[in-house]
Formats: sequence, structure tokens, C-alpha cells
Amino acid sequence: MTTDICTTGNKLALTYGALLLRIWLAVRAIQTGLEKFAGAVASDQPVKVDGVANEEGLTAIAATKAYALENYHGVPEALMTKFQGEPLMLKFALPIYDKILGPALLILGFTILLGIANRTSLFLLGLLYVSLTWGLILIKQDEGVSWLGIHMVLITLALMLAEHNRFAILKKW
Amino acid sequence: MNSEPSPHSILSRRDFLSKSLAGAGAGLVLGVPSILRAANQSSVGSDAIHIALVGFGKQAEVLLTCLKNIPGLRFQAVCDISTNRINKFRSESRGMSNAEGAKFYADIDDMLAKEKGLDAAIVSTPDFWHSPHTVKCLEAGLHVYCEKMMSNTLDGARAMVKAMEKSGKLCQIGHQRRSNPRYLYTHNRLINGHKICGQIINANAQWNRSLGASQDIGGAKLANSIIVPDAILNRYGFKDMHQYLNWRVYRDLSGGPISDLGAHQIDIFNWFLGTVPKRVYASGGNSYFKNREHFDNVMCIFDYDTPQGEVRAFYQVLTTTSYGAGFYESFMGTEASIKISEIATSSAIYRESGEHVPDWGALVDKGYLVRKPAPPKPEPSADAVASYESAPPDVYDLPGGFAKPAHQPHLENFFSAVRGKGKLNCDARHAFESEAAIFAVNPSARSKQPIDLTSEHLSV
Repeated sequence: MTTDICTTGNKLALTYGALLLRIWLAVRAIQTGLEKFAGAVASDQPVKVDGVANEEGLTAIAATKAYALENYHGVPEALMTKFQGEPLMLKFALPIYDKILGPALLILGFTILLGIANRTSLFLLGLLYVSLTWGLILIKQDEGVSWLGIHMVLITLALMLAEHNRFAILKKW
Repeated sequence: MNSEPSPHSILSRRDFLSKSLAGAGAGLVLGVPSILRAANQSSVGSDAIHIALVGFGKQAEVLLTCLKNIPGLRFQAVCDISTNRINKFRSESRGMSNAEGAKFYADIDDMLAKEKGLDAAIVSTPDFWHSPHTVKCLEAGLHVYCEKMMSNTLDGARAMVKAMEKSGKLCQIGHQRRSNPRYLYTHNRLINGHKICGQIINANAQWNRSLGASQDIGGAKLANSIIVPDAILNRYGFKDMHQYLNWRVYRDLSGGPISDLGAHQIDIFNWFLGTVPKRVYASGGNSYFKNREHFDNVMCIFDYDTPQGEVRAFYQVLTTTSYGAGFYESFMGTEASIKISEIATSSAIYRESGEHVPDWGALVDKGYLVRKPAPPKPEPSADAVASYESAPPDVYDLPGGFAKPAHQPHLENFFSAVRGKGKLNCDARHAFESEAAIFAVNPSARSKQPIDLTSEHLSV
């Protein structure tokens, strides 16, 4: 009886662990993908001078953050410039990667969150992080490589806990 | 101008698109992101202004970036002697529904003869073509926005004023600072409204450009990639590809750096001071680019008689050094100095210290100005002589900025005027009066003599 309770409790803990990892990795991927559509929108409201909107067209300087399709930037411009200068980087692949990165993060984030082909989605997310890691190694961004290393550990843990995964739309793959 | 149809005359954008369908399809397969990147489309209704682009060089690309943001325009025709540049327009206008069906021409006469229903032309050809192209468009009944400098000659500029006044059409010259909200505010509210400078006695402006940015454009590789046949180059006034790519360094084709770079800023002297100079002294030389026809560095002084008194304005254009804060204009008065530039971060207002300067507390409270944090006090240095130094001025800023490309407000002003909703901020006559002094700089530098500007220079 006691053993059964312990086993059941342990399974519940493993299920919670699998869910938490799944949610964490999904949120990380989705928000990172969304941020690639973020941009600054400057105010178009005229500044008030002596209580009246100025006629010359001066607007507030502070910009607000907004999301829009036309803001999309997969690889940040500063990194893109560095990658373009790397001899090992395939130049034709850069613009393709730039276009795919944001949508890929969003798609994989949602498939992991909803539990669609969870193991394959986690594996593909891992591959995406490997590709990012390779790029950062090229341009000697060691801190970024370490961060991605932690992500890889979390993905591996999530895969190890896959058998305890619940609330999935498509359990196959 | 020759009016023979060119090989790429009247190749419509629709034709081009249909021929490129396979390529476009491939792009769509790969290209969710290209859909994601789709630019905002200008809404075009039945009251659209139908425009022609006359010349599609680098400056026209800058203008196109702004034109894309202005609603109610229809790109009906584009004219350029280079097939490469026509193709550049095609790629830049991809996805713009208001450029579909645009017709392409190599010759302006051909375009004006065949295109019906045009309302306005944007002229951004090399300087020596500004006047002939603008006059042709005005005579054809189009309103014109023409890039500065108006012409490479005073007579060319005169012809533009005459054509504008005879045709009754609008002609805006591309001194875009005149529509910049920051410049308008400084002119209207601070200098003329509250007279915060006190008596302006000196002005100073510069455009210091690095050697790297002043090199000839091209080289064999570029020339070969965008080659225009010699026969076409010669027909349109260029001796060879070097002249075509670097017309700015040839005397017969442009006014050189003082015109290219200085014209904007010397125009600001005249606008802000409300008058034109009475005398110009200039010095220049081919100090680095020995083989160029124009001086590579020019310094000049303009003497003004303003209602407030005498003003001396110094201007320098350097093409061999960027040091010295790039480009800006400053107006120095007894109570304050205003430094202004198209780059907002290079601008500031400096209030003099002293009992003669009125308190600006009320201006700040009402929002006319914003007080900037005081800069850190410098450490006392052993070689400073305290009694020689003035107290550092307090620093202020404008209460706002604007978030559009620099040329957009000026184009918006033009199209508003075309719609009858306002007045041009820089029509050809005002631009001519302002540019007349600029035409005197190179002759003064060459003769090493001051030139008095008389009614002869300023009359049309």
C-alpha cells in the first residue's frame, strides 16, 4: 500500500516535471519568435506647447514597442554583419535562415505547448539551438553558447521525461 | 532631347510581372517571410495623384522610401536612361499596388508625349538636367518637385522660376529642411516668435565628410555591371561612364561640394535670417583631389544686413575630414545659440549666462523648451586661466522630434499643395533667391575676390 502511494506520487512528480519543462521551453521559443516581430513605433501625436498642439508637427520623441509583420528580423542586424564576414558561413543560406528562424521558433513553441508530436518537436528545437550555437561559436559569443547549452540540457531532460507527458494533442512521434 | 523610343520604353510593370511569374512562384514557396515583410501599401483612390519619376538614381531611391509612406499616389511612369536603374525601380516597388502598370521610358520627351493624365513629376536627375527637365514638365502642365540644387547655372535656375510662373503650376525645390518640423519649430517659435537668441550676430555651418565617403563612385567592376552604352551617354551629356557615375565632380554638370552639400545649409542661413547675403568671400582648393574640376574643400563667409543688424555667416565644406561633428548649422546670438541639424542628437540650444538674458523658466513650464541635464563640471586644470573663461551655457532642447524619413515632410508639403491644401514651403522663386548666393561661392573662390550680390544676381 505504502509502495503504491510512493510510486503514484513519484509518477505525479515526473508528470509535473515534464509539463513544467514543456511549458518553459514552449514559452521561451514562442516569445523569442514573437520578439522578432517587435519594433518601435514613434508617436504621431503632436507635442503640446502652451497647452495647444504645435502646428509645426513636432511629435513625442519616446517610441513605444509594437509588433507587426513588417518589423520582422530573424537574425539581428549586428550579428548578421558579423556572420557575413565569416569564411565558414554559407552566404546563400544566411538570408534563408534569417527568414525561417522566427516562424520556426513560433511553430515549434506551439507544437511543444500543445503537445503535438512532442518528442520530434523537442528534437527539432534542439537542432535549431545547435544551429544557433554554431553561429555563436563562429563569432566567439561564448556567453550565448553557454546559455544555449543550458537550453540543450533542458530539452534533453524533457525528452527523458517524455513518457510522463500528459495533455498532448498528438502523442505519436 | 531625342524622342526615339528606347528598347525598354513602354515595358509595363504588368508585362514584367507576368514574365517573372515562375521566379515569383519560387519565392512564394520559400517565402513565408517575404509575405511577412510585405510593406504597407499606399491607399489609392480615384483622386490619386498620378506621378512620374524623372531619373531614378540614388537620390530617387531616398525619395521613393518617403513616397511609399504617402497615401494617394499612383506611380504612372518612370524615366531613366539606364536599364539597370529601371530594374532597380522594379525591385524597389515590388509589392506596391500603386506602382502596378507603371510605364518605363528612357527619354523624357517620349514619356511626356505618350503619358496622359500625369499630375506631377519628381525630378531627381543630375544637376545639369534639373532645369531642362523641370521646364519640360511644367510646360507639359505637371506640378514639379525637383531636387536641389536647382541647376548648375544661375540662368538654368532662372528658367525654372520663369516656367513655374508662366505655367501657373507648382514647383517645389528639394531643400527639405524647410519642411522639417524641428527646423520649422526653431524658425517659427524660437527665433522669430520668442526671439530666444536675442540679436543674432554670427552663424556657422559645416559639412565635414570623410575622405572615404568622398571617393569617386565606381571603378571598372561597377561601371561594367551597370553599363550604359556610349551613344546613350553622349546623347544625354555624359562623356563616359566616369562622368555618368561621378557627375558631381565635373564643372559642366554640377556645382561641386559647395552646391551638393552646402546648398542645404546656406539655404538655412537665408531662411532663418530672413534675407539674402549682400557679399560672399570664399576660398577653396584642390588640396587632395588634384584632378577634380571642383574644389574639394571650400570655406566662405556671407555678410548679411538683417533688420536686427549685421550678421556674418561662415560655412565650410570639407571632403577630406569628417572630424568636427559632421554637419549642422548654428545661429549665435547675444542671449542664446541654436545648433540644429537633420540629426536630432546633434542639435541643442545653449542659453548664455548673464543678467541681460531673460529667465526661460516660463518657456520651459509651458513646454516651448526642455531643459537638458547639465553636463558634468570639468575638473580644474592647471593650464586654465579662470579669468579668461565664460561660464558654461545652460543646455536646452526642443520639446519633441519627428519620426519620418528626412525628406518625407517636404514631399508631403508638395502633395498637400498639389491638392490645394496648403502652400509650398520652398517654391522655385524662394529657392532661387536663396541659391543665388551659392552660385557666387565658386567664382569668388576661383577669383580670390569677394563678390557683391546685386539685384542682377537676384532678379529673374
